[in-house]
Amino acid sequence: MILLKHFRHYYLKYGLSFLLGIAILVVIDWYQLEIPRIVKTIIDGVENQTITNVSQILESLLIVTLIVAGITIGRFLWRLLLFGNGRRIESDIRQAMFEHATKLDQNFYSREKIGGLMSYFINDLNAVRELYGFGLLMLVDGFVLGIFVLIRMFSLDWVMTLYSFIPIALMGVLVFFLELKMEQKFKLRQEAFEKASDFAQESFTGITVIKAYVREAAEALGFKKKSHDVYQKSMDHMRYAIVVNIIIDAMISIVIIAIIAFGSIMIAKGELSSGELTEYIAYFFTLLWPVFAISWFLNINGQAQASAKRIFSFLDAKPIVAEHKDVIVDAQIDGSIRFNHLTFAYPDADEPILNDISFAISAGEMIGILGKTGSGKSTLVELLLHIYNVEEGMIAFGAYDHAKLSIKTLRNSIGYVPQDNFLFSTSIRNNIGFAFQNIDEQKLLEVGKLSDIHEDIMSFKDQYETILGERGVTISGGQKQRVSIARALAKEPTILILDDSVSAVDTKTEEDIITNLRHIRKGKTTLMIAHRISTVRNLDKIVLIDQGRLAGFGTHQELLKNNSLYKEMYNLQKLEELVGEEKEHA
Amino acid sequence: MRDFVENHEAHRDIKLLVRLLRYFKPYTGKFIWAFVLMIITTFTNMILPLASGLAIDLMADSFYSIEQKTWIVIIGALILLLVTALSILISFYQNLMLQKIGQKITDQLRVDVFNHIESLSIGQINQLPVGKLVTRATNDPGNISEMFTNTIVNLIRSILMMVIIAIIMFIIEWRMALITMVVVPLIVLATIFFRRYSRSAYRSVRNNVSEVNAFLSENLSGIKITQVFNQEEKKINEFTAINQKLKNSYFKEIYVFGIYRPIIYLLAMAATIITIYFGVQSVFSGPLSIGLFVSFYVYVGQFFEPVQQIAEQFNSLQNGFASAEKIFDVLDTKPDINDQEDALELTKFSGSIEFKDVWFSYVPGEWVLKGVSFNVSPNETVALVGATGSGKTTILQLIVRNYDIQKGQILIDGIDIKRIKRSSLRSFVGQMLQDVFLFSGTIRDNITLNNEAILQEEIVKASDYVGLDHVLNKLPEGLNHEVRERGNNFSSGERQLISFARAVVYKPTVMTLDEATANIDSETEAVIQNSLAKMMNISTMIIVAHRLSTIQHCNKILVMQKGEIIEAGTHQQLLKKKGLYFNLYQLQYEYREAL
Repeated sequence: MILLKHFRHYYLKYGLSFLLGIAILVVIDWYQLEIPRIVKTIIDGVENQTITNVSQILESLLIVTLIVAGITIGRFLWRLLLFGNGRRIESDIRQAMFEHATKLDQNFYSREKIGGLMSYFINDLNAVRELYGFGLLMLVDGFVLGIFVLIRMFSLDWVMTLYSFIPIALMGVLVFFLELKMEQKFKLRQEAFEKASDFAQESFTGITVIKAYVREAAEALGFKKKSHDVYQKSMDHMRYAIVVNIIIDAMISIVIIAIIAFGSIMIAKGELSSGELTEYIAYFFTLLWPVFAISWFLNINGQAQASAKRIFSFLDAKPIVAEHKDVIVDAQIDGSIRFNHLTFAYPDADEPILNDISFAISAGEMIGILGKTGSGKSTLVELLLHIYNVEEGMIAFGAYDHAKLSIKTLRNSIGYVPQDNFLFSTSIRNNIGFAFQNIDEQKLLEVGKLSDIHEDIMSFKDQYETILGERGVTISGGQKQRVSIARALAKEPTILILDDSVSAVDTKTEEDIITNLRHIRKGKTTLMIAHRISTVRNLDKIVLIDQGRLAGFGTHQELLKNNSLYKEMYNLQKLEELVGEEKEHA
Repeated sequence: MRDFVENHEAHRDIKLLVRLLRYFKPYTGKFIWAFVLMIITTFTNMILPLASGLAIDLMADSFYSIEQKTWIVIIGALILLLVTALSILISFYQNLMLQKIGQKITDQLRVDVFNHIESLSIGQINQLPVGKLVTRATNDPGNISEMFTNTIVNLIRSILMMVIIAIIMFIIEWRMALITMVVVPLIVLATIFFRRYSRSAYRSVRNNVSEVNAFLSENLSGIKITQVFNQEEKKINEFTAINQKLKNSYFKEIYVFGIYRPIIYLLAMAATIITIYFGVQSVFSGPLSIGLFVSFYVYVGQFFEPVQQIAEQFNSLQNGFASAEKIFDVLDTKPDINDQEDALELTKFSGSIEFKDVWFSYVPGEWVLKGVSFNVSPNETVALVGATGSGKTTILQLIVRNYDIQKGQILIDGIDIKRIKRSSLRSFVGQMLQDVFLFSGTIRDNITLNNEAILQEEIVKASDYVGLDHVLNKLPEGLNHEVRERGNNFSSGERQLISFARAVVYKPTVMTLDEATANIDSETEAVIQNSLAKMMNISTMIIVAHRLSTIQHCNKILVMQKGEIIEAGTHQQLLKKKGLYFNLYQLQYEYREAL
């Protein structure tokens, strides 16, 4: 149950503090039961007149005071230890989960939704932590205290104990089953709530249609019905909850009345002293807590088990993209790339997205990769970055087979400007200097200028310290692109890949950037993916991809003369310019 | 709607409370009644310690024989059982009543918020993520009712318990009660202290939790970039730092509660010890019997229990107030498009529309329409063509007054559009949108939009008229076929046909169509073209057209570029000009269709 294999690690790590906490708990539970006994002796003493003076009870009161002080400190300590452990373990698991997340590859991330992953980190982790902190406390405290109290109650009067314990135990069982029923009602209520939520969601999303057909009143009525349903299901659930509480209260009251009644008669017969009755009542009240604690625990345990399973199946997921067993670590990448009948299909896809692509790029060339949306051009460069596995022999960097190269070495040599221009919520400096611990000031400004973003940045209030993202400044799509370019340039990589990176900037800026690139990338390979011929026409060579196949490879002049597909694209794009169609935004 | 910013002024809380109380007004009577009942049940619950004390004294009294004592006890017990049973019934009734009130108010709040959101203009609604709006209408009301039916009720019950127990203690032996109360100010002090620290700990936890979540959300999305740049190490270090910070703030919370609760225990036990000392003394010096001493002892133990709960319940009040603020934010937002007070109700709409030098922007400063002027005569079919972003769809939106224009005038049958009641205007216009939004339900529901006034024959007639029957015949349940997942299982062409049926069945005199740009299979394409031709005959039509076949049937074509009408005329007239339309025609129709 709790002893899943993954948890063993944490038991060992925090074993000492767990044991200490539990030991303190046990000691406290024992001693807190001394207090009713001491009070009993005082009461009996007064009754039997063996105690006639207040000063005689001072010693007992002192003992009680010491016990109380001890319990106070003890309670603080076990809270620190047990709840503390709960949080420590939670923190450890969270850390392990994130570290694992950085190792998983795109095969994993294309399947999982971010929302779903987040709920592992938030909801599931919470449930597990509750089990370790509060849950464990209730289990141990419940059992230990329960057993101690029962022992004392039995030793006082076993008949009465039997009579009071059995109904309580029965109540516990009854409550357990009632709570199962209550859970069903709760589920129904949740479903009704979800339906109302979904209704509202659809309504707000389709508000245009609703207003178009003047259906606001009808929608209001529809929602009213759904909301009323939630009301009814909530009340159904409430009724159960209230009944459960009532039953508990009733049972407790009945048993106490019975104890008082029987106890009194026993006192009259001389079989029990007043002190003992008082002590007994105190014990009984103490017994209630373990009963609730254990049923509470069972509740938490159920939820936590499911959550724990999810978390650990996540931690057990293995990345598919990993270093080759004969990995070459100290390769020198010179910037030449060769594609050799490259065929690639995504792991869950039936059809390959790239088919039999062969061409070669020499070191230092500036190559444009052209194709329609969905033609496979982005996939081509993602493979260069070893984001997915490719069969041996299909891609080569210089003399090295891509599949055997160390992924780290490979990625160090490549600068990548992604299509979505993903930037982090941190300063512009940290974004541009992402590849470094602390980017050199001079380099920072240099790449800023080369990417034509420096002036924009200087016009911001905080300049390079400007924070981007949700909590910071929102910059335009074109500005994002240029920061992204600067980030890649800062690495001075042997191979630079730009995926659709100038689509959001105007023609003049695009020209400037390409000119800059040409200048500083002399001797280094640069690949530019684009969908406009105007972007790539002046590059060394152009690769034309159509439906996953190589449709053309050559200079702009050559392709214009010999390639019909290229020629049509060219004409089409010219017309678009005439008509003034908006550029496709990144 | 502005974003909610946490603000800790107490008097803000009171203002919210006052506003919320207005929702309770209709139930004031029941509330008072429930309150009275709560007093009674709490009181009866508190008898037991007294009863045991009396029993103990009775047993010590030598006046009665053992037999008599036994009978007294049994009768006493039966009376107590009866009282308990009654108390339980009352408690059930009272609890149920309170819960009902709470749930009813929640229901009311949900409906109010939903209706208010629907009354806002499309522009306002589109400004917020739908998820946030849904939370306002569903979750937040729940939090508020939780606050009232659980937190506040328990708070009142706890206070009641304390007051009643205090009263009983004073009745039993007022001098001892006084002595016991010495501890109370200390507890109050400890609680005030605790509140400050617990609030700051709680706030710290919430902030750090948001930070961790924000970090995770961003970095799980951006893992690819991190990996491509080989910066996994860096990200792990960043995460370690904020994870640590979070752990520290949790520990702060543990410390605060870890100190507070034991201290309350200590103080409560201190009161108990004091009670024992002075109680025993009272027994010796006379006024207190042993039995009553026992009662007192039990009462003291029970007195301090509610104290902790009160402190912690104050914290959970915060949640409720947070939700209340969010809800009132929504309710306080006024719709920015309103019908004038004396707005006209249209009795008919012949189809005459005139735009006079209309300027419009969604965002101030960024004009989408610049001085657009044109007119549409009844029964005409007008096509709007142009590149994306030229303003065509916007014109359709303005005709049904989804937005208000900044400059110029729009005349509907010669009347200024701002003087007409929007609902009456829209009831005459059948809108076929580009993105056909389908609701969950059947095809029939989607055609009628759950309007039960539309008869089955009318639905069938409309479906046949627009050619939807082609689609329906292929489906086993026909009109009753379930639409699921926003209708993703229907092709773009089929959705267009459904939107045609929807428009036609509402019997409009004017129709607007924003043609889908996605590829439609040729069979459905033919059906659509046929239906369009038929619909053009029965109404005035304005179409944002992307298909050559559609345009060719139109009486008038308006060519737009960057918010202005550049050319106007029939298809032949415009081709002859060899201007923008000519290029557009070649681009969109010749080249695209050839490719």
